[in-house]
Amino acid sequence: MIHRISTAAFLLAPLIFISSCRKKVNDVTVRPLSPAEQDFKIPKNTAERFRYTTRSSASQNGGGKSPSAASQGSPSLAYKTPRGWKEIPGSAMRDINLTFGKNGEGECYLTRLPGSGGGLLANVNRWRKQMGAPPLSAEEVAALPKKTLFHQSATLVDVTGNFGGMGGADAKKNYRLLGLILSFDTGAIFVKMTGPKALVDSNTSQFDQFVASLDVNHK
Amino acid sequence: MAKSKIDWSPKNWPRLLFKLFSSYGLAALVLLFMTLITLFGTYYQVDHGLVAAKRKYFHSFFVVHELFGKVPLILPGGMTLMAMLFVNMVLGAIIKVRKRWRGAGLLISHSGILMLLAGGYVTYAFSTDGYMALYPGMKSNRVESYRDWQVEIMPVTADHKAEKMWVIPTASLEGIGENGSRTFTLPGLPLDVAIKGWARNASPIPVSAPMSAQARGKAIDGFKLFTQPPSKKAEQNVPGCHAEFLSQDGKEKVETILWSGSYRFDAGEKPMPFLFEIGGKKFAALIAKKSWTVPFEVRLDKFIFERHPGVSMARNYESRITRIEKGEPDKAVEIKMNEPMRYEGYTFFQESYGPADARPGDRMYSQFAVANNPSDQWPLYALIVTGFGLAIHFLIKLFGFISRARRSQVAQRKDSVS
Repeated sequence: MIHRISTAAFLLAPLIFISSCRKKVNDVTVRPLSPAEQDFKIPKNTAERFRYTTRSSASQNGGGKSPSAASQGSPSLAYKTPRGWKEIPGSAMRDINLTFGKNGEGECYLTRLPGSGGGLLANVNRWRKQMGAPPLSAEEVAALPKKTLFHQSATLVDVTGNFGGMGGADAKKNYRLLGLILSFDTGAIFVKMTGPKALVDSNTSQFDQFVASLDVNHK
Repeated sequence: MAKSKIDWSPKNWPRLLFKLFSSYGLAALVLLFMTLITLFGTYYQVDHGLVAAKRKYFHSFFVVHELFGKVPLILPGGMTLMAMLFVNMVLGAIIKVRKRWRGAGLLISHSGILMLLAGGYVTYAFSTDGYMALYPGMKSNRVESYRDWQVEIMPVTADHKAEKMWVIPTASLEGIGENGSRTFTLPGLPLDVAIKGWARNASPIPVSAPMSAQARGKAIDGFKLFTQPPSKKAEQNVPGCHAEFLSQDGKEKVETILWSGSYRFDAGEKPMPFLFEIGGKKFAALIAKKSWTVPFEVRLDKFIFERHPGVSMARNYESRITRIEKGEPDKAVEIKMNEPMRYEGYTFFQESYGPADARPGDRMYSQFAVANNPSDQWPLYALIVTGFGLAIHFLIKLFGFISRARRSQVAQRKDSVS
């Protein structure tokens, strides 16, 4: 029996060898471009090539004006600053930058990233890590509640813990992070509110108002 | 009973091979492995998506399946099993089988199954499927792949016009992997290109964003490339890579990140290539969808899109197109859901529309799925042949049973009379 099996294996070996030898792909080919393919958009810089055009609409509108929008001839953000919140100038990463609380200890801002910005799972867990919370699995992230943002269904992240922030500074105790992530191939949008838990608790309705007011000005 | 001794000498190998490949044992083994890879492939699909499962389990010669996610199990892939089943059926069910009229049905039905297997291979090797998206007024003969991307490099003039492109195909890029590197020579051009790490799904992240800490590779022009797990839906993957363009004398080097998001997400967009200079000559490079042409042009004259009242959900959408051959309008055609246009071996189905966030009154594009499969109808013919063969076989069996029953009745009567 063993003799038979070994002979069968021996006879099959050439077939296995031949079948496993893949044809070498002719790597680089050259072809002419059709007229439609010759039409390119020449990007001004890498950021434009990666569809990453931040627009600090708050600073362009002098801050505190609501509804505000940058009017640069291209789509811009429109929103209403909730009562009691303060608009401060945006930054390279923050398209909209708002603070609240007596000393501005609560903050809420909107950022955008090109592509899917690293994906939903990685970003949810990055936020959770900032709050000292353990990471979630893909299934758990998929099951997170949703909220409408820019007419789309965005994932809501709500974590309470000690906020270490992004710079690795000393953690601020008993903070709450409330955020929304909208992630597509074409771009990712993040709305993130952080602050002392009691302050965030008392500003959740303002957060909802702000999120509901967000829209895009096409003119 | 004494066992006959098998002659293992090399001159007897063809006979032994024939015996092995035409045996019922091999057929049973192949079917057992097919059951296993179908089961494992189906499980794999849940986490990795249909395309990845097809590629790993069915379009392969061998599969390394991790049993319970831990124990590596080497199995024959779908290609090996299908090839073995085909050979086994040709040798065992067509050549070796005794030819007699009673076996005619089975012979025909096995021929049908062989036709089905052959059709499967023709589909795998020669069929194409892609899409063509057009806004009203646009015309094209170019079909784009849903999921295959390639790197294109073009010499450009001072006003950024290009006439030819050098294409690095999908298979070569995917072979590089996320941590690999490969240099490609571009015949006729004074430069080589090194692709460093091909990520099937990636996004460029500004270095100022906290997320960039998790991105791999070098930061170039303020961006790093973040590799994400491939999407379960392969068409949603947005690949990227680091590219190094080197002059052939090795004196000049240009580095960049190429990302497929610079291509286009909408039929009306223009691709945004990376522009660079080597040896005083200008070049453009981009990751673009693999594309091919059909032998006629399609012009979208009108796209009709109706929504359900009060909601944005589509109720009906259809396209009125003009087929153009050799630059001249040939025929006006309506393409609707379940009413495709079939012409010169290509089938244009009304597939979808866009942009996804279009509001009532916005300009919209129509997207056609374009399929070309030389063995499109083979499964139907194969099933007809197999069904016909089985019908003949069952009829022969039925007549045999009836005649045996009659003979037995006659014999019983004779017995009772005597």
